[in-house]
Amino acid sequence: MIELKNVSREETIRYLGGAEIELNSAMERLLDVCEEELVRAAVPKYLYKKIELENSGLIEGEAVKKHLAECESAYVICATLGAAVDRLIRSAQVSDMAKAVVLDAMAGAAIENVCAQLDLLLAEKEDGKYLTWRFAPGYADYPIELQGKILALLDAPRKIGLCTNENSLLTPSKSVTAVVGVSDDPLEKRRRGCAVCNMAKTCKFRKAGTRCEF
Amino acid sequence: MNFNELLKNDFILLDGATGTMLQKSGLKLGEIPETLNITRPEVVKGIHKAYIDEGTQIVTTNTFGANRYKMKDSGYSVEELISAAVRNAREAADGRALVALEIGPIGQLLEPSGSLSFEEAYDYFREEILAGKDADLIFFETFTDLLELKAGVLAAKENSDKPVVTSMTFERNGRTFAGVSVASAALTLEGLGVDALGVNCSLGPDELIPIIKEFTEWTALPVFVKPNAGLPDPNSNTYNVLPDDFARSMSEIIDLGTVKLVGGCCGTTPDYIRALKKVIDTKKYKKAKVDRATAVCSATTAVELSEPRVIGERINPTGKKLFKEALINNDIDYILSQAISQVSAGADILDVNVGLPQIDEKAMMTRVIKALQSVIDAPLQIDSTKPDVLEAALRIYNGKPIVNSVNGEKKSLDNVLPLVKKYGASVIGLTLDEDGIPKTAEGRFEIAKRIVERAKAEGIDPKDVYIDCLTLTVSAEQEGCAETLKALNRVVTELGCKTCLGVSNISFGLPRRELINHIFLTMALHSGLTLPIINPNDDDMMGAVRAYKVLANIDKNSRDYIDTYNQAQPDKPKIVSSHLTLDEAITGGLKNEAASLTEKMLENTDAMEIVNSTLIPALDKVGADFEKGKLFLPQLIQSANTAQACFEVIKKQLSKTDSAPVSKGKIILATVKGDIHDIGKNIVKVLLDNYGYTVVDLGRDVEPQLIVDTAVEQNIRLIGLSALMTTTLGSMEDTIALVRRTKGLEDCKVMVGGAVLTADYAEKIGADYYCRDAKESVDTAKKVLG
Repeated sequence: MIELKNVSREETIRYLGGAEIELNSAMERLLDVCEEELVRAAVPKYLYKKIELENSGLIEGEAVKKHLAECESAYVICATLGAAVDRLIRSAQVSDMAKAVVLDAMAGAAIENVCAQLDLLLAEKEDGKYLTWRFAPGYADYPIELQGKILALLDAPRKIGLCTNENSLLTPSKSVTAVVGVSDDPLEKRRRGCAVCNMAKTCKFRKAGTRCEF
Repeated sequence: MNFNELLKNDFILLDGATGTMLQKSGLKLGEIPETLNITRPEVVKGIHKAYIDEGTQIVTTNTFGANRYKMKDSGYSVEELISAAVRNAREAADGRALVALEIGPIGQLLEPSGSLSFEEAYDYFREEILAGKDADLIFFETFTDLLELKAGVLAAKENSDKPVVTSMTFERNGRTFAGVSVASAALTLEGLGVDALGVNCSLGPDELIPIIKEFTEWTALPVFVKPNAGLPDPNSNTYNVLPDDFARSMSEIIDLGTVKLVGGCCGTTPDYIRALKKVIDTKKYKKAKVDRATAVCSATTAVELSEPRVIGERINPTGKKLFKEALINNDIDYILSQAISQVSAGADILDVNVGLPQIDEKAMMTRVIKALQSVIDAPLQIDSTKPDVLEAALRIYNGKPIVNSVNGEKKSLDNVLPLVKKYGASVIGLTLDEDGIPKTAEGRFEIAKRIVERAKAEGIDPKDVYIDCLTLTVSAEQEGCAETLKALNRVVTELGCKTCLGVSNISFGLPRRELINHIFLTMALHSGLTLPIINPNDDDMMGAVRAYKVLANIDKNSRDYIDTYNQAQPDKPKIVSSHLTLDEAITGGLKNEAASLTEKMLENTDAMEIVNSTLIPALDKVGADFEKGKLFLPQLIQSANTAQACFEVIKKQLSKTDSAPVSKGKIILATVKGDIHDIGKNIVKVLLDNYGYTVVDLGRDVEPQLIVDTAVEQNIRLIGLSALMTTTLGSMEDTIALVRRTKGLEDCKVMVGGAVLTADYAEKIGADYYCRDAKESVDTAKKVLG
């Protein structure tokens, strides 16, 4: 059972773009309030399904082909924090924008937390096998339109209320879809890194001469 | 046989899962189940027959997802799929069962969570309903968004005369994914006139028991229950409850009473239906004993009128200059902030009045209601004198609202009550008519009675009529107060209706108005007033309501009272330290302190002097620190908000002396067509606002044409566009191209920003300025507008 009990401070601060900035007490307090409200509002839901990759229609573009090169099967997964988190952020945008910005960053860290728990769950299921990291539509040349297809395969609109809109954006917005490859043999170490990241050109970490941990 | 005849039976046996059966028949992964109606009709008919053979009295067509959105890649039209499905069910039933047109959710979320509008949703459903014209009744199942379901029910009611049954899907916490509560679903759907309502899917029968119990407490309509065969394994998709256990649990559910329509959802098969039939054959239907509570609701929150509830009156332009300006400038955020502050002060319901001669009231009303419902949970009271405005608002309102108002005039009764009935609202009945306001309690009571009788004749439950006996100004007619209270008391005791009153009218023309208001409010509550319409931000008025609830033994153990007044009050304006400067207050984000300091400075410093030599430099310093990576974005925003509080103080001062408002120019902001991520745009808005620019915020998912039209109309020289996703950068390019082609916008500059944008790309699509972050948009505004 995946639950959201807390959200990583470090990760939230990283999303806020300020690993180097010293936290003052006001900022600490704001983070505390946001964490409490976010954890209360979030209703994490997830789905996964193991599929054969051949003829799955999920291999489009070079990046995912390379990513799943050693895999014959894969898990399609999705996860969401639910509609109440969107509402919380929306409401904060009216009453307190500073809080909204923190909540938004923190929700990003929270959905990552949920996905990390899902990673562990899959690893347990596939004991003795090797899993790739989550590859999501939108990375590199992997078409974002596949989000809808993954959700349909998982029956996600009905089962957990996760949909896409006409532009393939996920709604509720604090959500993820991805493919995790399964292999019998050890996988060649492939760091995620800047090469597959769409933010590579605009990334504030790179500008500052550092990297995120992606 | 028809549905109404079937309803006379103790129970109606429905079918089990279609999807589960189709998978067993070899449905391939990714194959669209609805296409089997055409490609393999014998399989679909076989499933229907298998259920009917076990006693199913209503079969549901294999059309759960047969809407235009989900079927776009199916190769068939909605008409083809649905008519084939109805034909299959009809042939399989062969007179032994009725055929229900099954309609599921569209598969795309409605605004505000998604981008589908209510009207688009309505069209999708209408198409399905027309295609299914040969079915006997309509089942809406597995809904999680009450507003989407409302669009469906209205589409059904307006395009067919078939019975309508609705079912929503709840989680263990008693709410749907969209946060809809059981009470809200029951109140709203019963109001809309559905024939039966209930629950299906998501949980097994045992887990559904508490939810169904709650349903039976909120509705007297026949309740519909179709649980899953237990809980699914997330990977294998198999279910864990066997037919006999399923039937045993269903027996328990039936014993709750009011449950009449029973069947199974995911994982159930004809075996489950056979077991279920054995159970109902031994049972008798227990009719609901419920005397439905008097309540109104939003999708998430029901407010029972079993005790005094405060209606916040502040969303109303009458006598409010800033509110009027906000309406004229389309400043929805101002209205939302008014709403949030009333709710935090303790309002239970908010009155919404946006009537102003120079604006399109209908468009504004629907816009404001949608926006309010996207951020607050309190139910709303729709306040307008125009029936077309009321109807537009009633259509898109999510929940059961109050209509403000109807009165004893024939025209008003004729125009308003049918709307109240159709949309299942409650209504305020004003005790006045063609002859004005009767002077006596007797006269007002007679009008109240007439309104209630007429409402009854329209099919409205008298419970849903709240009578307003009208407050008159006591300085003009001193004997009037006693008459109001007398009438109120008679309405409560003789008609059994709930009552409401606008309170503050009482004290016009008198000094110390708050004293009169208080005492009058207390007297009215004591006479039986349920719904005082007051300013909840007036602490003393809210205090009077809270104190009354203690003294009247409503607030048990004075809990709410103690919770409210016993806690420390951190928001109390602090005494400004004599050492703190305005500059420090701004950089530290200390709003109250900064505002007081500004007030003080205004005593001996010119307003523009404060702006130019203190406010702006302080903001610039914060901005520079942010750029250097010394501050977090929220800190920059807090400082900017603090500066804004200072600007407000200065604006107030200037409006007293009638000087020109401090605006450095107008800027349009919009998140481009297709994009619904608007937090970036909203951050920019806050900063630009705080730096003294007037922002025309067009929202998210904005048509290029609307942007250029607004720019031309308001003579705008700077447009800011935001896009978060690579997929919507195309819309940004289209918008810029349209700006360039439009006459009158030759001097208009475009700045762009958003996570995936780069300076190169901005240049490529023809933007004038690329803004890396919110701060840079302010720099750009300075460059363009000064």
